[in-house]
Amino acid sequence: MSKRLIKLILFYLILIGLWQGLASLKLWPEYIFPSPFGVLKTLVTGFEDKTFIIGILISLKRLIVGYGFSIVVGLGLGLLIGRIKTLDETIGSLVLGFQALPSICWLPLALLWFGLSESAMIAIVILGSLFSIIIGADTGVKNIPPIYIRAARTMGARGLQLYTKVIIPAALPSIISGFKQGWSFAWRSLMAAELLYVGLGLGHLLMMGRELNDMNQVVAVMIVIIVIGIVIDRLFFAKMENKVRERWGLV
Amino acid sequence: MTNLDVTVQMEGLKGLDEFKPNKIIDIRGAICPHPLNVIRDTIRNLADREILQAICDHEPTAKENAPRFCDRRGFPFKVIEQNGVWQIFIQKIEKTQPRLRVVNVSKVFRTNHGRVTALDDINLTIHVGEFVCLLGPSGCGKSTLLNMIAGLDKPTHGEIWSNGNRVNSPGSDRVVVFQEGALFPWLTVIQNVEFGLKLIKITPKIRRTLALDYLKLVGLDEKFHDSFVHQLSGGMKQRVAIARALAMEPSVLLMDEPFAALDVYTRETLQEELQNIWTESHKTIVFVTHNVQEAVLLGDRVIVFTKNPGRIKTEYELEITRPRKIEDPDVFLNTKWITDDLKGEMEEPDYESDAKTAVYR
Repeated sequence: MSKRLIKLILFYLILIGLWQGLASLKLWPEYIFPSPFGVLKTLVTGFEDKTFIIGILISLKRLIVGYGFSIVVGLGLGLLIGRIKTLDETIGSLVLGFQALPSICWLPLALLWFGLSESAMIAIVILGSLFSIIIGADTGVKNIPPIYIRAARTMGARGLQLYTKVIIPAALPSIISGFKQGWSFAWRSLMAAELLYVGLGLGHLLMMGRELNDMNQVVAVMIVIIVIGIVIDRLFFAKMENKVRERWGLV
Repeated sequence: MTNLDVTVQMEGLKGLDEFKPNKIIDIRGAICPHPLNVIRDTIRNLADREILQAICDHEPTAKENAPRFCDRRGFPFKVIEQNGVWQIFIQKIEKTQPRLRVVNVSKVFRTNHGRVTALDDINLTIHVGEFVCLLGPSGCGKSTLLNMIAGLDKPTHGEIWSNGNRVNSPGSDRVVVFQEGALFPWLTVIQNVEFGLKLIKITPKIRRTLALDYLKLVGLDEKFHDSFVHQLSGGMKQRVAIARALAMEPSVLLMDEPFAALDVYTRETLQEELQNIWTESHKTIVFVTHNVQEAVLLGDRVIVFTKNPGRIKTEYELEITRPRKIEDPDVFLNTKWITDDLKGEMEEPDYESDAKTAVYR
């Protein structure tokens, strides 16, 4: 076991110990300050009676649909904006403007357009992640050293080949960071949207905890949200990023 | 070539004795100018199919320089020795189709300060198998010319022809080796070499074989085949870049100062190896450099450019035995001559006056 891991485990053990200690003093009622033990119990029952599992699956489904759409459209649009000057000067400016708008601000509009439906949720996820992905791809394309494209052209690459064989791979580091940022924005906007409106997702479970004065549930759901965020980042984006960094010699 | 029997009739000139030479020159005793230069200049003035007879007592010219000169141009020739005097018969044959033809090419750039003429009325013909160096100070437009030959850039006026086809766009018959940083970092070494072959849909097996062949030709150690680009030294990167270009089997290899960013020792090794590669592959090579010694070391012909505007100043034909080495006296002397000739051109320009002439021309 590495020294780093030992430090990490010790830190969290102490943190949880302090938390349990503070909770044992009973300075506040349990519905305001939960104990680690109570949270753990809620987590176990939540997974046992499947409410947490259903919540996770519903939230993830919304994310995957919305985020998947954003990847396809955002990547395509970003690559075109990066290469075509007219698009950059028109759509490019619009994208930058929208990027400045927190995606939850779209909720009123989405509710009016799509009603209290799944579509409204997905729209929020899309609007949360789309612009980061476009900007990531766009920046990546714009920062490609021109010599790569010249070298590829002298070897006979043209048209679509130039995109698939040179532009996309060359812009990949920036595209991936766009994906990563898009993902975290999608995650945040979905949680915000689920908090505001009933719909069975993780955010809804969080809200339910508040309404039932069940602080254990609130903290348990928060932990679930954190863990999912970390797991996806580690399993997915960190791995992709490391691979690219290693190839390019950026380590 | 090395074991040339001087009395043997070369193919294509059978029964030459029966033809009367159109011109006879006696260059016995000639040292300066070099006898070969006299021969070359005389031949230049002959018409197609005319025959020159040169009487010569300079052994290297008769045995080595003249045959090499003829071989490169595809001129039939015959050398006969009598008591230390050589009779050299050479028939001039006009090439029907040069590999590259640059016709009245000019390039004007628009900048914030107005129009700058980078190249002015360039005419250049490059034959099959020639190694031509474009030499000049930075800013003389030699790289611009190379880019236009590659099709990456378009001439403002004039035309460029490759193998009889007008050059309009880049093509894999004219591959460029750039100065540095043109290898793709997202691919391994061998994938980089296979890149162009993949584009033209060569099957993976043949692709791999070709890539391995060319990596061997440029002398890259096998253990680096699966390395990433950033793991290679500068010299190894340029080896891979050359292999990648050669793998396309271009009819012309265009090289844009490929060794300029390397340290002296690596550069010398690669210059030597490039000569070997050229001798083995008989590629036509156009090589841009600002280094006189490099040009002399590598080129059959050295085309010297001046700047503001870029024009061809002089052209040197070098008949130095290969492989050439930096310490060869011939290399040293030619370098010195060309350097003397270039004095003033290579010196740092008076920036302001240059800018003015460039702007208001």
